[in-house]
Order: sequence, then C-alpha cells, then structure tokens
Amino acid sequence: MTRKRILLAKMGLDCHDTGIITVAAMLRDAGHEVIYIGLHNSAEQVVKVVVEEGVDAVGISFLSGQHMTQVRRLLERMRAEDIEVPVFCGGVIPSDDAAALQALGVSDVFTPGTLTGEVRKRIDRAMAGATA
Amino acid sequence: MNAPVDRNAPRDHEEQIFETGAGIPIEEVYGPEAIESFDATRDLGAPGEYPFTRGPYAGMYRSRIWTRRFQVGFGSPEETNERIKYLAANGANGFVITIDLPTSYGFDSDDPLADGEVGVTGVAISTLEDMEALYAGFSPTQLSYALSIRPPVSSVTLAMLACVARRLGVDFKDVIGTQQNDPFYQMSGGPLQTITQFFPLEGTLRLCIDNIDYISNNLPRLNWMVTNGYNLRETGVNAIQDGAFTLGHAFDIFRLARKRGLDINVFPRRASFFLSASIDFFEEIAKFRAMRRLYARTMREEFGSTNPECWRLRFSVQSAGNTLTTQQPRVNMVRAGVEAMAAVFGGAQSIHLCSYDEGHGLPTEESSRMALRTQQVIAYESGITKTVDPLAGSYYVESLTNRMEKEIGGKLTDIGERGGMVACIRDGWLESEINAARIKNQHDIDSSRRVLVGVNRFQVSPEEDPPIHIHKIRADEWGERRTAMLRRYRAERDHARWAEAMSRIDAAWRNGDNMVPVLMDALENKVTMGEAHEAMRKAQRWSFR
Repeated sequence: MTRKRILLAKMGLDCHDTGIITVAAMLRDAGHEVIYIGLHNSAEQVVKVVVEEGVDAVGISFLSGQHMTQVRRLLERMRAEDIEVPVFCGGVIPSDDAAALQALGVSDVFTPGTLTGEVRKRIDRAMAGATA
Repeated sequence: MNAPVDRNAPRDHEEQIFETGAGIPIEEVYGPEAIESFDATRDLGAPGEYPFTRGPYAGMYRSRIWTRRFQVGFGSPEETNERIKYLAANGANGFVITIDLPTSYGFDSDDPLADGEVGVTGVAISTLEDMEALYAGFSPTQLSYALSIRPPVSSVTLAMLACVARRLGVDFKDVIGTQQNDPFYQMSGGPLQTITQFFPLEGTLRLCIDNIDYISNNLPRLNWMVTNGYNLRETGVNAIQDGAFTLGHAFDIFRLARKRGLDINVFPRRASFFLSASIDFFEEIAKFRAMRRLYARTMREEFGSTNPECWRLRFSVQSAGNTLTTQQPRVNMVRAGVEAMAAVFGGAQSIHLCSYDEGHGLPTEESSRMALRTQQVIAYESGITKTVDPLAGSYYVESLTNRMEKEIGGKLTDIGERGGMVACIRDGWLESEINAARIKNQHDIDSSRRVLVGVNRFQVSPEEDPPIHIHKIRADEWGERRTAMLRRYRAERDHARWAEAMSRIDAAWRNGDNMVPVLMDALENKVTMGEAHEAMRKAQRWSFR
C-alpha cells in the first residue's frame, strides 16, 4: 500500500463527529496522511483544500440528513473545477440515498458498524482505481 | 483470580471479559464482605431523603410513573403540532421537541446557512407565532415540552414560552416543562467549534445564567436542564467519565450562578439532568444511584445549601443511541428495552427510548410508537415499578454503586484541579478525552473485545436482513414554504416598532440586563430568532459572517 493524502470534512450544520474522528484515526493507523478540517464546511471550502493540498481522496461525514444537498453541491463544484478524486461518504445514510449518492458519482458509502479492516480495504481499492 | 488480560490480543469469541464497560473488574460472586462498611442509614437513607440513593422522591413510581417522553419535531410548527395531538391521544404525556439545525444555531429558516436543513432534524422555529403554533390546542400548564436547545437560542425560546403563556393568560407559576440550558454538551457533546463558531462563548454563558435567573424568579415549576450528559455520553466516553463530566459541568454552572448573586437555596430547586442509559445494565444502575448520592453530598457539604429540594438530583433518560446498530435493526428494540429497565431501576423521572431505525435515518411514526410501547410494557406489565429501588441492599449493586461513586468522585477532584469543567472544555482537555475514548471503542469492536450482535458476531448477509421503512425528509419543500412565510412576516410588521425593539436588545446587552424580558418585548414586536441573535452578536461587536 502506498501512503495517500486524504481530506476529511463535515459539511452543513451537522456537528456529530464521532464517526469522522474515528475514521481519521483508522486511516492514520493504516499509514495515510489525513487532513481533517472540522465542521460546517461549504462545498467551496472543501474544494479549496482539495486543490491546495493536492489530496488523493475526500471523505465527508453526515448524520443529520443533509447528505443529498451537500454532496450534490460538492460534486458540482468539483466538476466545475475539473477535479477528479474519489469522494467517500460516511454516516447515517438511508440505503436508497446511498445508492443515489453513488449514482451521482460518490465512490463508496460507509454506514455505521463497518469495521476498520473493511473501511481501509474499500478506500484503498477506490484510490487504486482512481490512479490506475 | 483472573489471569491478566492482554487488551490487544484478538479475542476468542467464547472468552468472556469480566469487567464493566468502564473497566471495573467484576467478581464471580459478591457477599457481605463486598459491602463491609455499608451503613444503610448513611449510604441509602429512605427514598426521597438525603442522600437520595434510593430515589429523589418517596413513593417513586407507585406515586407516579415516569414521564414517557416522545421525541417529535419535523418540518413546520403546524405539522409538528398535528403530530403532538395524535401522540397525546396515544398515551405520550411529555414531549422532547427536536429543533432543526438552523434554529439550533439561532438562524431563521430563510438564512442562506439553513439551505437544505430546514425542518430536517426537527421543527423550525423562527418567530413567536411559530411557538404559538407549536402549542396550538394545548396550554403550557398542561403539557410538558422539553425543547432540545441550548443558550444562546434557549434564551429566545424561553422568552417565546413566556410570551405564549402571557398571551394565553395563564399564571407563570403554573407553567411546566423543561428548559434545556446546557451551553456546552447540547450540540452532540462534540468539539468546541460547535459552541464558538456562531456566537461568542462569554455571551453564551451570560445567557445561560440569565435563563436560570429568570426561571427561578418567575417560572417556579419549569425545570431547567443544567447538564445534557446524554449528548456527552453519546460521544463514546464511559460511565465514569459520563458521571464526572456531567456533575463537574453542573457544579461549574452553579458556581457561575452563585457569582451572579443567585441563591443556592433557590435556583437549583428545578435543576434537572438529561442522562444516557447505556447497555451495561448494572453499571448504569450504579451510575444513577452514585450520581444522586454524590450530588446530594456536594450540594449540602460543598455548596452549603440548606434546602433539601436543592440536594436531590432529578433526571430524564434517553436510551443510548450509540449502542444501536444499522445491521439487523429490529434487534435495537431489545437493546432499548434493557436500557429502559436500567433507567427504571436507576430511578429516572422521565424516559425516552431511541427508535430501532436510528442507524438508518430519522425515526418513523411506526418506530417511535414501538419505542413508546416498550416503555408501556415495562411500566404497566412487568411489575418492576411496584416497589421502590428493589435492588437496594444487593451485595453487587451496593458495591458497584460505592465503586462508581469513588471513581466519579476521583475524576471530579481531577477536574477541580484542572480549574473546573468549563476550563477543561476550553483548553481542549475534554475533547482529547473524548477522542481517546472513541478510538478505544472502535478497537474494542474491531477486535471483538466488545461484542456487538450483528456487527462483529452473529452477522447475516444484507439479503437476509429484511428492509425497514425509512423516514422521508422534504427539506426543499419545507425551506421554500418557510422562506415565503418569513418574507410575508417581515413585510407585514410595523417596521418602526421592530427597529426600536432591536435597539433595546442592543442597549440591554451592553447594560448587562437580564435578556429574557428584553427578548420577550422584541418577539412581541416581531423580531425573529435570527434577528435577535444578530442584534446580540452586534452588541458584542462580534461577527462570524
């Protein structure tokens, strides 16, 4: 496995951060460099960091039902800037919405109870696919 | 003796670990030696008497079954009110009103920051008329609402409640309910950023004390929640940390109130706590009993309160959302049942159970009804309510209660040496404790050290897991309707009176007045939630935009 740079962020007004803090630790333990930019980010703010830091993947976490609105905006913004890095979502996301997010272009959706090994494997796979 | 356990070794599934969730070792059997120095008079007392180990009231559930709270709140106040009418007819007698995120931060539904979030996690409340609509058909003297809110926003909702009571012509002395007033843990316990991003911290603390002052002088039956220990526990800390951080926070708020000149024999009378009942059954029961005893001792001995009403810790409980699983969601009903029983044996005044589908989305009508029915089975069928504190005198329960009291007390001393809980939050110590706990929990689940049925043991394939009905949100529709409503509201109000009320907020803030009556005046002059916050931010010469 090669060391990657992964940006993690919360978007919108949601402030449940247990999941994202835990995932950050999982990915750091796996040898990746994780940039976590905290809560309440807009699509513009996320994209700015993606560009400035040249990250290999982006992970966004949601618990309070704003995933469709925020992800749609983020992907539009990324497309407008011609950025092609895999985007992951995690959190309390109903299965219909998870499928809809993937149809929009999200690489993978992690729901509660996904064990560490599984998260690492799926993220590595998507990042390998993106660079291949 | 147990052999030492290597915490990092992968677990054999049938190998059990004999310790509580917080790591207190559990013996094979407990006998009289476990509680050698136990003195029933000193350590238990009678229910409703110092040190309140057996419960805050004599008679407990024989006199009155706990309040079965129902969580409700979505979309507009009118829609939420319709739901409350339906649920009240179905046997719920108290409501936790959840608020949408824009309102939780003091933004109106038409604020650009509210885009996509209006009515999603709860009801949107932007005007006094919104609060009136929420109470339509009910009086705040009849039906108990607990709004999930915190300062600064809770000062505005408190002012709204007082205005609704005044408009209905009811006596303030008869108004019931719970005013949540925890400045720190409310926003899911998490990072300091949630508290400081949209309002200055000093201003938030001032409004917290303004609320306590106003309630204790004007609304003697209204509870005010001093600590939201629930949201704190949900971050993943253990039962000992939960007890210590919850009480430590309350004692700090009491110190601030006393510094303002409020009377320690008066203002804590209606203070209440919101606590989590997690899955480790006996540890949770011991936590509740130990917290009551510690609180009583601290209030009497340290704060020197001479009013027994100020010694008794009263709390509402919610079952632990963080013990629910997304996998095999119906199993969550069993978890909630176990947690509810821990709350009952622990002496809770009010209980709200999580719905089984919360790992998938926001609760549906059907899943919330199941949660209420679970409580009703315990309350009306199981018989466990029919004598007070039935576990008292159990070698194990009393020994664990003593141990929890000692552990929580020790951590409280630690917190005191660090300058108190507010200082611990400000300097990031709490956040680092929380983050360490989260990572440990994940390791424990990954290694199966902690068994999670359906997640790391007893899994089924997704195909075998029957689908459940999911709550649908209509954020775009709610946002548009509320935006149109607020546009009309602003266009139709008397602008001159509105402007005067706004400037009175500014003057009162700078003057250090209690803001609650000032906000009541503003609301009557059609100042909105968002505008009131903007005026208070401006008065502090502070802006985040």
